[in-house]
Amino acid sequence: MLVIKVSEFIKNVKRDLNDPQLRENFRGAMDYLMDKRQAAFTDVDEWATLKEQCKRIKQRCLLKLPHLLEQLEENLQRNGIEVHWAETTEQANEIIAKLIAKEHGKSVVKGKSMVSEEVALNDHLEQQGVECLETDMGEYIVQLAKEHPSHIIMPAIHQNKSQIGKLFVQHIDGFDYSSDVDTLIKAGRNVLRDKFCQADVGVTGVNFAVAETGTLCLVENEGNGRMCSTVPDLHIAITGIEKVIEKLDDVPPLLSLLTRSATGQAISTYFNMITHPRQPGEKDGPKAVHLVLLDNGRSQAFADEELRQTLQCIRCGACMNHCPVYTRIGGHAYGTVYPGPIGKIATPHMLGLEATNELPSASSLCGACEEVCPVGIPIPKLLLRLRKESVKPRADMPQTVKGQGGGRKPVEALIWQLWALVHKSPWLYRWSTKLLTRLSWLMPKNLGPWTTARTAPKPAAKTLHELIGENEKQGKRK
Amino acid sequence: MTNQSARNNILAKLKSQVAGADYDKLPKETGFEYPKLSREQQLEQFVGHLESNHAQVVKTSKAQIAEVVARELKSLGIDRLLYGKSGQYSEEIQALKGSVTLQEFDFVVESQAKQNLFDNTPAAITGAHSAIAATGTIVLWPTVEEPRTLSLVPPVHFVIVDAEQLYANFALLMNEQQWHNKMPTNVVLISGPSKTADIQQTLAYGAHGPEKLVVLLLVG
Amino acid sequence: MENSVNIRQYPHKPAQVYLYGTCLVDSFYPQSGLDAIELLTKQDIEVIYPQGQTCCGQPAYNSGYQDQAKAVALHQIKQFELDIPIVVISGSCGGMMRHHYPALLADEPGIQAFCDRIYEFSEFLVHVLNIQLFDSGNKERVALHTSCAARREMGAHETSKKLLEQLSNVELVEHQYESECCGFGGTFAVKHGDISVAMVEDKTKHLLAEDTVRYISGDWGCMMNIDGALAHQKQPLRGEHIASFLLDRSVGDKGE
Repeated sequence: MLVIKVSEFIKNVKRDLNDPQLRENFRGAMDYLMDKRQAAFTDVDEWATLKEQCKRIKQRCLLKLPHLLEQLEENLQRNGIEVHWAETTEQANEIIAKLIAKEHGKSVVKGKSMVSEEVALNDHLEQQGVECLETDMGEYIVQLAKEHPSHIIMPAIHQNKSQIGKLFVQHIDGFDYSSDVDTLIKAGRNVLRDKFCQADVGVTGVNFAVAETGTLCLVENEGNGRMCSTVPDLHIAITGIEKVIEKLDDVPPLLSLLTRSATGQAISTYFNMITHPRQPGEKDGPKAVHLVLLDNGRSQAFADEELRQTLQCIRCGACMNHCPVYTRIGGHAYGTVYPGPIGKIATPHMLGLEATNELPSASSLCGACEEVCPVGIPIPKLLLRLRKESVKPRADMPQTVKGQGGGRKPVEALIWQLWALVHKSPWLYRWSTKLLTRLSWLMPKNLGPWTTARTAPKPAAKTLHELIGENEKQGKRK
Repeated sequence: MTNQSARNNILAKLKSQVAGADYDKLPKETGFEYPKLSREQQLEQFVGHLESNHAQVVKTSKAQIAEVVARELKSLGIDRLLYGKSGQYSEEIQALKGSVTLQEFDFVVESQAKQNLFDNTPAAITGAHSAIAATGTIVLWPTVEEPRTLSLVPPVHFVIVDAEQLYANFALLMNEQQWHNKMPTNVVLISGPSKTADIQQTLAYGAHGPEKLVVLLLVG
Repeated sequence: MENSVNIRQYPHKPAQVYLYGTCLVDSFYPQSGLDAIELLTKQDIEVIYPQGQTCCGQPAYNSGYQDQAKAVALHQIKQFELDIPIVVISGSCGGMMRHHYPALLADEPGIQAFCDRIYEFSEFLVHVLNIQLFDSGNKERVALHTSCAARREMGAHETSKKLLEQLSNVELVEHQYESECCGFGGTFAVKHGDISVAMVEDKTKHLLAEDTVRYISGDWGCMMNIDGALAHQKQPLRGEHIASFLLDRSVGDKGE
């Protein structure tokens, strides 16, 4: 498995920026997704109203989170669905491995689940001798290539059809090279159909867990999520604790914004609502259903009112589709499960700021993400907040984010101290800007990263302060 | 097997943050008021969405179900049809006897029957619980007679939708039918044939679910 | 517009305004400041330029050094004591002072009243002055680049367009990905130089494709970035601050 580390972000970025094919694949894909989304929101008032409504729904559900989780648990159990809690990724893997071992499961088919990526479930199960097959077409492609998803909705977006054709030749018996998409999908379908039929266990994510009724909702287009949650005898769903919503009434607006923001669809092909395992007399469906609820840093984000907004996310991917940084570096460069703007604000809670301190700073704060976020997460504000936590002295209280001070450099801290000193003293400021303009010939031609593709700016002969001062003296001001 | 300590730790952490939160002070959640559509407009919306999502919609009547299905199956070169014997429209479907082989879903999905379901059922037919105009969506509440895999595994899915069961939108449907009082084992909303755009944003149909969805819309 | 900028009540035309020149204009592009003053003065407005102003604090703020940003921000608000509008010739600094000061200086009494006096230059011309421009220039095609903060926090893409559309001999052309960030982002351009370069190279490519002589912007941060890249590519295209451009067009000859 190709391992890309978040600690090597700067290196990864350089590598991927210099891959023209990759750049082209992402630009094309993002253009497509942006156009789709735009076409789905033609009524500005509707968008504004729904966005505000969904933001409030998620904020309400977060304010009630512990109670909703208890209610969800109670209702799921009453419905015959077992609930498990995991504080860490290790606990989640252990729970799932045990559930599978208890049923002597040997093969798992997986529906798309970013949380299962977050806990690296496939690796863990394979170590236990359990075959774990991704069945979402994009995830399947990524798994064959021994890669990770580069986008949370479109996992194989970094590859084009001819690259995928070559991959299939290598991995699918009897497949003759083709770059025809229908042919490729048919080939994938045939391989996976057998696997659905034979698998012992299905693992899926959850888009919304409804506390009121104890219902797990899955959004998908392909039907693999339905396969995974219907055909094998055991269905295990895994999700983050923030995915619980209070009631069925909360579903329609959230679903509408989710699918429209993600792919511009009014609704996904399938919306699957699971409330019980197979009941007496029923001819299909899993005999047992389990839900694993994962924390992994979410309760840390929850503990701060501002950072809590991170948990409003419904994982539509619109922020990455509109992000000029993501569009250029692609999803792998981040070295995190969740790339793009949401990844930058969510991952520090999972991995700590020590490992992830480059992420919050890798943004021009352009605000395109916030503009399209369907649940109103102020992503740039949260990036700023994480930058603050990242450069805060390690020992300062309160310790809000694990790895506080992970990005603090003594020289940089000193520079900002001096900068503040100069800029709060008009005299020092005017003296230093005058010096800058007078000594502009001393200004180096090479300004590090700035001048790799730009010329250095030239200070003016005189500052605006001076020019206006002179004008005023000469009484020239009209 | 619930990990009690993990559960208690998580809940304790969360509760300590929102203890005493005043739910009454939550801001009002106002939804968007969509324009009210007439019956005809709703039907048009329903059909329009389904067709743009690559479903085939045939307006017909209860009496003509067999005729329409026979014709469509013939054009697809399919000679078999899987159905639920005591399903909503089983009488109408049984009229197909003679023109196609009717396969009854009278088995539990396991071992050989499961393999057979995957390998030897090219088409299936089900009724529908209701439908949604705003998104062109068919709502299935699978039953003992018409199980979940009936609408999932066979590559062609015929679904009979009574226009009388068409609701303006999802929220209205759930409210009018009081879903919160009792949810069945499974509900599935279907808005077209299975599809994917995972390869270079190119739409392809029949990813894992049915590649063809034929909607028999009963208007008469 | 996706996120409507807070709808604000605009005052009548004032007799006096402050000009906030910004640190970048002060040391690098002072002519834009002079041009803005001249244009406002022509509208019979007295422009006061407090010599104590320095920087809005954004560089430190965006780098996570909020205490330092706060100290500098606090110094700024003390320089503008009269209750008159403060016209900022940068959407980015304007956005900082209007939308970020309230949280940064939350414990400062009267901070909201200060923030409510902040206007981005084009916003002020359109909404407060209802300015009627007279175009005395030759026929020209120009592109417009609006900084992200100017666009999303101040709505300056709309007001800039309104101003340029008043100029009868100016044809405004839209370039591809016009709303996309140029890659400046302050310290981002240094900390993540490679990404920033990729962004500005795309921006110059799209601007150059329109084949104009100059492009217009209300933010020198972006223009320093874009012009720096254009100069490095040995391209003649350059940016012009909207204040200078409007003055240039409305008087034909600056030496009038």
